[in-house]
Amino acid sequence: MILSPAERSYLYDSLIQKPPIRPDSRSGHQFRPLEAKTAFLPSSNGSARIRLMDGSECIVSVKAKVVLKSQESSLIECDIDVSGNRDDSNFVSILKFNLTNLLCQNFPMDVLQLTSKYSYKLFIDCLVISHTSYPLTLLSLATYLALKTTRLPLLVSDVDDSEVEEQPTFSDDWDKSKYLKEMVSSNSKFQPPIFITLGVVGDNLLFDPSTEEEQVLENGLILSWYNNKVITPISNINLASNSNNSNFKGMDPILISKSLALLKKYCGEIVDALDGIIEHDDATEGGIF
Amino acid sequence: MSVISITRPTNVYDDEPSDIEMSDVEESGELKKESAGESIVTPGELVTDDPVWMKGHGTYFLHDQTYSSVAGSVSRVNRLLSVIPLRGRYQAETGDHVVGRITEVGPKRWKVDIGCKQDAVLMLGSVNLPGGVLRRKSESDELQMRNFLKEGDLLNAEVQSIFSNGSASLHTRSLKYGKLRNGIFLKVPSSLVVKSKNHSYNLPGNVSVIVGVNGYVWLSKSKQGASSTTSATTNKAQAAFDSSSSGYNPGQGSVSITRLEEESSWEIYSDKNESISNSVRHTITRYYNVIKALAFGELGITEQRIIMGYEASLAYEDVGSLIDKEAMESICQDVINSEKMRG
Repeated sequence: MILSPAERSYLYDSLIQKPPIRPDSRSGHQFRPLEAKTAFLPSSNGSARIRLMDGSECIVSVKAKVVLKSQESSLIECDIDVSGNRDDSNFVSILKFNLTNLLCQNFPMDVLQLTSKYSYKLFIDCLVISHTSYPLTLLSLATYLALKTTRLPLLVSDVDDSEVEEQPTFSDDWDKSKYLKEMVSSNSKFQPPIFITLGVVGDNLLFDPSTEEEQVLENGLILSWYNNKVITPISNINLASNSNNSNFKGMDPILISKSLALLKKYCGEIVDALDGIIEHDDATEGGIF
Repeated sequence: MSVISITRPTNVYDDEPSDIEMSDVEESGELKKESAGESIVTPGELVTDDPVWMKGHGTYFLHDQTYSSVAGSVSRVNRLLSVIPLRGRYQAETGDHVVGRITEVGPKRWKVDIGCKQDAVLMLGSVNLPGGVLRRKSESDELQMRNFLKEGDLLNAEVQSIFSNGSASLHTRSLKYGKLRNGIFLKVPSSLVVKSKNHSYNLPGNVSVIVGVNGYVWLSKSKQGASSTTSATTNKAQAAFDSSSSGYNPGQGSVSITRLEEESSWEIYSDKNESISNSVRHTITRYYNVIKALAFGELGITEQRIIMGYEASLAYEDVGSLIDKEAMESICQDVINSEKMRG
C-alpha cells in the first residue's frame, strides 16, 4: 500500500502528537473491535474464528494426535496459511516461526502427557483468510481462544505403561472429554501465550496499528505475554508492507521499558476479554457468522 | 476506556429462521413483469420468459428465458431489460466526480485507481500545468510528469469520457480538482454514495469532505481557514473566490480562467501540508468515524447525513468509542430518526 506524501505527513504529524491522534481516534492502547466465535468446527478438538471490522479474518483449528514421545521432537506443530502469500514466502515463514517458537517454549507440556510412553501432539492450523495489517496479533489471539476451548478425550487405560506393552484407549463418551484448562495442575491457570504488536512513532506506542498507521511507523515491536508477565522474545519489525518506509529508524531503548509497562497495565484486560468470550460462547448457541 | 472489545458475531437473520419460499416455477415471467417498479432478483433467478426483451447488463439468456446474473433490481428501459447490481465495483460514468490514486506513470498519461474494473487514464493534456495561462504541453512537461503526479498521489478529478472497453478517462481542468492535501483518505462502498450535483462539501468544524462517486472519500481541513495565511498574491484571488459563493456554481468555470493564471503555479502540485491544529485533526477523525458508521449501517452517504451523524456523534465525548458496533448502530439510528423528524 502506497500513501501519497501529503497523506503520510498528515498521518505522521497526527500520530506524533501527545496523546496521538489516530485516524479512527482510538487511544494509544485501544484495539480495534473484534468478533470471535469458538468451538465451531465439529471435526477438530478446538477451534476459533476471529474477525475485525475491516474484514480481516483468521480461523484456527487445533487437532490432537496420540504419538510415541520418543519419536517426536516437539509436541506442538503450527502451520500457517495466509491467503495471497506463498507458504514458503518470508512473510509466512516468519509468522510461523514466531508462533511455533512462542508456543513450544511457553506451553505447559505436561497437560499433553498420556502415559509414560505416549502423549498427545497438538497440530495448530491457522488460516488467515484476509488481513490488512500485520496478522500476528490476530493469529495469536485466535490461537489462544482455540487452545482454551480444546477438548481431549478421556484416557481410560492405565497411565503407567512402562512395563506393559499397551496402547492407550479412550472413552467413547465425548461428554467426558476434558478441556486443556482442566488438565493443568490446580494451582496454575491455563493461559496460552499471546503476541501483542505495538507501533512506535516518536515517543508514542500504539497498540494494534492499522494498515495506514503501519505505513508511517518509525518502528514496530512484537512482545509476548504469558502467565501475567511479558516474556521473551521481544523483537522489532518493520511493519510497513512496502519496504521503502522512509520513516523507519532506530528506537530509543527507553521505549522498550515503556512498552513493558504498557503491556503490564493492559494485557490483563485483553486476556480477561478473551476468557469472557469463551464463557459466553459456552452458554449460548449462535450462528458463526 | 476499554482496551479491547470482543463480541460474538451476531446473526442478522436470527429472527427469521424460516427459509424464504422460492417460487420460480409458479411465478411465470408474465407475473414478474407485471410486478412493476422495484423487483429484486438474485443470481440465477428467472426474470422473464418473454423473448421480446433485449438482454442488457446483469442478465443471461438460456433456453429462451432470461435470468439474472447478479443480485439487484430489475430495470426496464423501453425493451431493454437489465439488472442493476446492489453492490459491486464502481462503474464510471461521464461527469462523475471521483477521488483516485495514481498507480502508474506512463507515456503522456497517468493510470489512476478509482475502484473501477480497469484503472482510469489521466492524460497529460487534461491536467492544469503549472505556469499560468492554459498553455500547451511541451516535451519538458512529458519528461517531468513525476514532478506533477507520482505513484501513490491522491487526486480528485472528473470523468471526462468512457472508452468502449469501460475504462474511464479523467480530467482535472478546474481548480476544484487536482492533488489532495491536508487530510485523510477512506473508502466506503460506492453503492452507498448518492449522486448529486456537488460532491465536495464544507462541514461544520472547519472540515471539508469530498465524497467521490466511486466511494473514495477525502476528509481535509477547509480551505477558508487558510485564506488568512496565504500570501498576498493569492489573497486577491481568494477574495474573489469568497465573494462568489463558496460552493460550485454553474458558469464559475469560465470565470476561473483568470484565477487560474494566478493560482496555477507549482503550488497546486505541492506535497506539503499546511499546519493543521489538533482540534481540526480531532474533528477530522470524528467525521472519519461517522462516515464509517454510516457505511456500516448501509445508509446512503449525503452531506445532510454526514452532518446529522456528526451532530449525533457529539453525544460521545470520546471519539474512540465510536468504532464500537453499538455506537455505530446508534448513530445510524439517530440519523434515521432525525430524518424522519424533518420529514
